[in-house]
Amino acid sequence: MKKFFLLLPVIVTCSFSAQAKLSVVATLPDFGSFAREIGGDKVNVAVLAKPTEDPHFVDARPSFVVSLRNADVLIDGGAELELGWLPPLLQNARNPKIEVGKPGRIQASQGIRLMNVPANVTRAAGDVHALGNPHFTVDPIIAKAIAQHIAQSFSALDPANAAFYQANYQKFETTINAKLQEWGTALLPFRGQHVVAYHDSWPYFAHRFGVAIDIFLEPKPGIPPSPSHLTEVIAQMKAQHIKAIIVEPFHDRRIAEKVASSTGAKVVEFSQFPGGLPGTDNYVKLIDTLVSRLAAALK
Amino acid sequence: MKKIFWILFGVFPLSVVYSQESAPTASSSPTQIVSSTSPATAGDVEALRQQVQSLTETVKALQQQVKDQQAALQKANLTGESGLPENPEPSPIAGAEQSPTPSGSAPPRFPTEDTSVVSSTTAPAVSPAPGASPNQLPGSFPTTDTSVVTSAPETISTTGAGASLTQPITIGGGKNYMNISLDGLFALAYSSARDLDHIEVGDHDPQQRGFNARNIELAFDGAVDPYFEGFANIVFKLDNDNETSVEVEEAFMQTTSLPFNLQLKGGQFFAAFGRLNPTHPHTWDFADTPLVNGLFLGPDGLRGVGAQASWTLPLPWYSQLIFASQNGRGSTGFSFRNPGDNGMFFDRITTDREARGLQDFVWIPRFENSFNLSDTQTVLAGVSGAFGSNETGANSRTQIYGADLLYKWKSSHAEGGFPFVKWQTEFMYRRFQAGHGADDSFPVAETFHDWGMYSQVLWGFKKGWVAGIRGDYVHMQDSTFTDDLDRQPRWRLSANLTWYPTEFSKIRLQYNQDFLEENFFLSAREVESVFLQWEFILGAHGAHKF
Repeated sequence: MKKFFLLLPVIVTCSFSAQAKLSVVATLPDFGSFAREIGGDKVNVAVLAKPTEDPHFVDARPSFVVSLRNADVLIDGGAELELGWLPPLLQNARNPKIEVGKPGRIQASQGIRLMNVPANVTRAAGDVHALGNPHFTVDPIIAKAIAQHIAQSFSALDPANAAFYQANYQKFETTINAKLQEWGTALLPFRGQHVVAYHDSWPYFAHRFGVAIDIFLEPKPGIPPSPSHLTEVIAQMKAQHIKAIIVEPFHDRRIAEKVASSTGAKVVEFSQFPGGLPGTDNYVKLIDTLVSRLAAALK
Repeated sequence: MKKIFWILFGVFPLSVVYSQESAPTASSSPTQIVSSTSPATAGDVEALRQQVQSLTETVKALQQQVKDQQAALQKANLTGESGLPENPEPSPIAGAEQSPTPSGSAPPRFPTEDTSVVSSTTAPAVSPAPGASPNQLPGSFPTTDTSVVTSAPETISTTGAGASLTQPITIGGGKNYMNISLDGLFALAYSSARDLDHIEVGDHDPQQRGFNARNIELAFDGAVDPYFEGFANIVFKLDNDNETSVEVEEAFMQTTSLPFNLQLKGGQFFAAFGRLNPTHPHTWDFADTPLVNGLFLGPDGLRGVGAQASWTLPLPWYSQLIFASQNGRGSTGFSFRNPGDNGMFFDRITTDREARGLQDFVWIPRFENSFNLSDTQTVLAGVSGAFGSNETGANSRTQIYGADLLYKWKSSHAEGGFPFVKWQTEFMYRRFQAGHGADDSFPVAETFHDWGMYSQVLWGFKKGWVAGIRGDYVHMQDSTFTDDLDRQPRWRLSANLTWYPTEFSKIRLQYNQDFLEENFFLSAREVESVFLQWEFILGAHGAHKF
């Protein structure tokens, strides 16, 4: 009994410190990585989607409802990438703190100029996103803006630790700025080169580093590759001497291998998400890996 | 207004830095020449004048070039050929500083800012002060880019509960938003039985040999205000004589922000009984209703006008209690206050009376829990009940109990949600007190203990492709006093293959083998049916519930 009383203050402080931590839910692993960079040990971060699965189609598992119900902060893309599964989760979570417009809701696309905004939204063009291409976090300059946005929101919700969040943002910014020199230099020799990708997930990465990732194995976004389309791609690749095909962990690698073998190109495994490739448990390591893999393939 | 000032403050130092930085590099060689010659002669002045002249021309030419490039970019954006971001309303600040694109800057400098993607350095707290900023290393890759970051995080994007894949359709001067969709579900059917409408037990199932259009559905949803969401599903059906009938399948509002994880719902809605009942036919994994659903909960499912409260329990796993009450009247309250076809139900003349008290409503509780067995495996289990009175006697009552189980595995490397395996089973037990009928016209009162179940396995083996198999069984208690053919025990085996070209269309081929004790035409007791079902969805596609 005495022991229990001795333990009591420990339990109480534990539960208090647990309460004091911001509970953050990120829909996708890239947002989770930013939240960890900024929040450090002052926040608990839960990520819904797995880094290896297709972010367009994630199962709305009931356990996600529990995470969202208890969240102080929700970070989502805000560009309809999670449209197929987030709305029913939010409906069920009934958490006013994370409604759109509340300080607890961070929509990463705010302040980002989305690329490829369709002039006409027609599904004849495949799985197009009305607000523009939502795969924007692979541009490190955009990543800084999102991290800054997160730091501001965390500071507003948890003013006691505002200085900590701002300092972490500054650290992140410094790291990215320094890394950008490294990455930019590594990819500089390949400026203007064409690269093939399975899905159109890389316009922001391409825009940043000056490579042209503009030929896709999918005939239209979300539509599986057809033989006739692949024939065209192979012809294009041969004509332009394209050296690399980018696939993501959830894509059918065999299709890319087949195209690669008939063109002499290399299949490069890419991921939009930290954790999607081995040794990429944070954002900087992910971009490190993407840059070095692409540079190696284009050499 | 304040915010704008902050943004200005944020951007101003940046542009200053840019201009400071770019000025020396652009004009470095001429300045050096000038400074090296010390005494100013008339010739020097003339040389200077020429230099200034040529510089001005160079600047003009550069400006023209930039303009041309911008025009070209805008054009390319319109045609969707370029990967560069569309910049519909460039802020005057961004325009003034002619945001450097990576390709425009000198080779060894990689930009670290990009105003074409990031609108502005957002808040003052973290906006880099000139000089102190770590991102302006001379001769460096830019670390900002105003062409990618557009505006302070005040703009609100549309993703959220009730957002749509399309731009929201605006009704009422841009003040109210709602999602509209149209779903068409059709089937080409063959059956060895001529009376397919008796073999199939659901109202949206194929009803005749040949073509069927039993579910053309208009769906609306959206936020009503900060407190409520509204939903409506209006279904159009074509009967076997191609006459159209309209059904208000669902129309209800529900709360969005009650405290304590509570939610209230009111209107016409499907009862939360089991897995399948609360869902719309186009989300089903088979082309027809399972026997137990059609025969116990009714051809249209158990739905009606009522109210519902639900509460997610504050537990570390998903656990929800749902409690609803509905009128339970008519054919959508099939086992309850249903006057039946031509005023008959289980051979009794029905009473079709007004509600006398709370006992005449249908009360529908449900308790469901979900666990993750692993990162890729989820289980959802629930128990449901539906209690009320029926119309076969003055005080006859019905109780239906249900248990359901869903297991789903989905690959951790899933593309488009494939591959997956889903196993779903529902069991129901019905206690039905069949009374003496209206005015004691039926000689015997009896209590039926009926039970039934279905179990189905779906295997999404390749992106867009699903194979399914289902077993159905219904046991109806034998009665010597009633020879209603709906009271015969029966079972069914089904197999199907579905192709989803996208999530907005599907084509399904299904084979059914039915086993009946008696047939309505006293022909074969085994019935074989084949359905070719197809579907399209226009407009907002409701997100997938688990």
